[in-house]
Amino acid sequence: MSQEKKNVGLYGFTGCNGDQLVIIHSEDKLLEFFQTANIKSFSLAKSDNDDTELDIAFVEGSISNQEQAKHVKEIRERSKFLVALGNCACYGGVQAMELGAKGWDERFKKVYGDGFFENRTPIESKPIDVFVDVDFYLPGCPVDATQFFYCYAHFLNDDLPVFPDYPVCAECRWKENDCLLLKGVLCLGPLTAAGCKAACPSHNLPCVGCWGPMKEANVSAEFELLKEKGFSVEEIKRRFRMHGGSAMMKPLKKILGVL
Amino acid sequence: MREIIVEPLARVEGEGGITVRLDGNKIKDVHFDIFEGTRLIETLVIGKRPEEDVSIACRICAICTISHRYAALRGLEKALGIKVHEKTQLLRNLMHLGELIESNSLHVYVLALPDFLGYPNAIAMAEKYGDEVMGALSLKKFGNHIMQVTGGRMIHGENPTVGGFGKYPDKATLLAIKEEAQKQLAFAQAGAGIVGGLEIPDFFDEETVYMCCEPGNGSYGIAGDQIRISDGSVVDVNKYKSLTNEQFCAHSAAKHCLYKGKPYSVGALARMVNLGERLKGSAGDLYKKYYTDRWKKNPVFNNLAQAIELVWALEMIPGTVDQLLKIKDDPEIVKPAKTEGEGVGAVEAPRGTLYHHYKMKDGLVAEANFIIPTGQNLEDVEKYMRKAVEGLVAQGADDDAIRFQCEIIARAYDPCISCSTHLVKIER
Repeated sequence: MSQEKKNVGLYGFTGCNGDQLVIIHSEDKLLEFFQTANIKSFSLAKSDNDDTELDIAFVEGSISNQEQAKHVKEIRERSKFLVALGNCACYGGVQAMELGAKGWDERFKKVYGDGFFENRTPIESKPIDVFVDVDFYLPGCPVDATQFFYCYAHFLNDDLPVFPDYPVCAECRWKENDCLLLKGVLCLGPLTAAGCKAACPSHNLPCVGCWGPMKEANVSAEFELLKEKGFSVEEIKRRFRMHGGSAMMKPLKKILGVL
Repeated sequence: MREIIVEPLARVEGEGGITVRLDGNKIKDVHFDIFEGTRLIETLVIGKRPEEDVSIACRICAICTISHRYAALRGLEKALGIKVHEKTQLLRNLMHLGELIESNSLHVYVLALPDFLGYPNAIAMAEKYGDEVMGALSLKKFGNHIMQVTGGRMIHGENPTVGGFGKYPDKATLLAIKEEAQKQLAFAQAGAGIVGGLEIPDFFDEETVYMCCEPGNGSYGIAGDQIRISDGSVVDVNKYKSLTNEQFCAHSAAKHCLYKGKPYSVGALARMVNLGERLKGSAGDLYKKYYTDRWKKNPVFNNLAQAIELVWALEMIPGTVDQLLKIKDDPEIVKPAKTEGEGVGAVEAPRGTLYHHYKMKDGLVAEANFIIPTGQNLEDVEKYMRKAVEGLVAQGADDDAIRFQCEIIARAYDPCISCSTHLVKIER
């Protein structure tokens, strides 16, 4: 065990705050969480925040204006180890489902008209690694509490966690669920990084892919399989992109040529 | 020029701040700033299937994920001619109560109470108020548990879907929830007593208009197809635009709302003002004990309104579980009766009335409009902060005192800033 407590900061950019909330919702571990490290910044939970040098920074949310881009770079500069916390920080989240396709300006105009903000300059939502180096990706929408605390304990002890490199399908089989793909349901289990304990398929509902694709995901094989099962290219693409953010751009571009 | 800035505003969900500008004793500006980045969610649900829409829409906010999902389901099901089974409706009621317990207990005891007891956060407060903090965390955990069981996951669970549920909880799980609700009641009642004992200064008291869903049947409730307004009128949810009248505001990524040209408030306090007389049981007793005319004039009573609602929610659970257990078979998911149509779904999110409006074409979302509680409250938040600043400046208060009072007012509304931003639409 290290002698001194580590300095830890949690930051939230654009998203639903669900990842920070997963920590606040871990009632039994919350007091311990605040005691095992110096929680220097956690604005969702406390008001006496201190922007100081950090051993570990957890960053939730996507970057959706120039001021946030500047802020995340500033956090990076004073942090030894930076973790992208949750799907929005890792891949951009649902708001990045059209990343790479044109049309953000028009969509922005549709919502806000010609109005401008006096305090922020909006840009299309992007994952944080577009702006800063990320030391560890902890995906999930939101992250799973067990996975978070497992990783956190490793980080506190200067160690890297061993992370699952298998898909939701594996967790689903351990639960002995009936395969939804075999029933003709558009399920993203084979592509999606594990960690949710197959939450949706265990409720007879298809995996929506909210952990993002796992590292070795065979995107083109799943694409072909779903086509064989009668799903349209448009529908498959839509599902792959919904929670896939930046991680789905490259494989889809390879299959389809365009986004 | 004296400028008092709070940025970021801590212990609220999302990225916001407060700006006060004074010229001598004259107030130039009092702004509740919404900095949260834009996501353009309303444009992203276009062209999506209904079940895809609910998977996206719930992610607007993690605290009120169930309310967003439920409002979307109500709007989509109206548009598609789906009438859900009685058991589905009962389980939806239970999930919605679970979210209210999670959100109200988080806000009242973890986010708001530290201000009144002089602490920067609930963990620091635990040293002296250990029982209260542990009780609140236990109550919040129970709310989370209900969300987990009904939703399939604690946050953004996909189990509540268009036309029904993927899976229904079993008898033992439901009975355990009933038992736990009865156990939690004592803390919720005692907690309401603590919040009820807090002194709320009256120098910024001013009347406002309150709006909430009319649940019908003369009961207290958190969903409905009509809107009740404190001026006595009741309006069909389809006419929500005539109530909310959004307008763009340069210091806020959330649009401001006005009713008949005036600010109004939504949330637990609005529900208590409009429906509180209908409360029964110990929630009714607490309402009678604490309710005064000042509730119509001061937003800080929202904390107490939420604390009393927690008692109401716990008292609703046993009956809801009993009714659920009477229906043995789990209904199938109801398929859409049509592929085109329009529907407005309204529910009470913990922090106020939430509307999801959809137009469907060829089974896909063609148009979507969401109106969010915090957006509706923004005008009133600023109105009350301005009034408080006026009062404090006249008393010669320093910047810290002004900052602190503004934070208390903004926080009392339980603002949900992730929700409220980008959910604004320009009508031309």
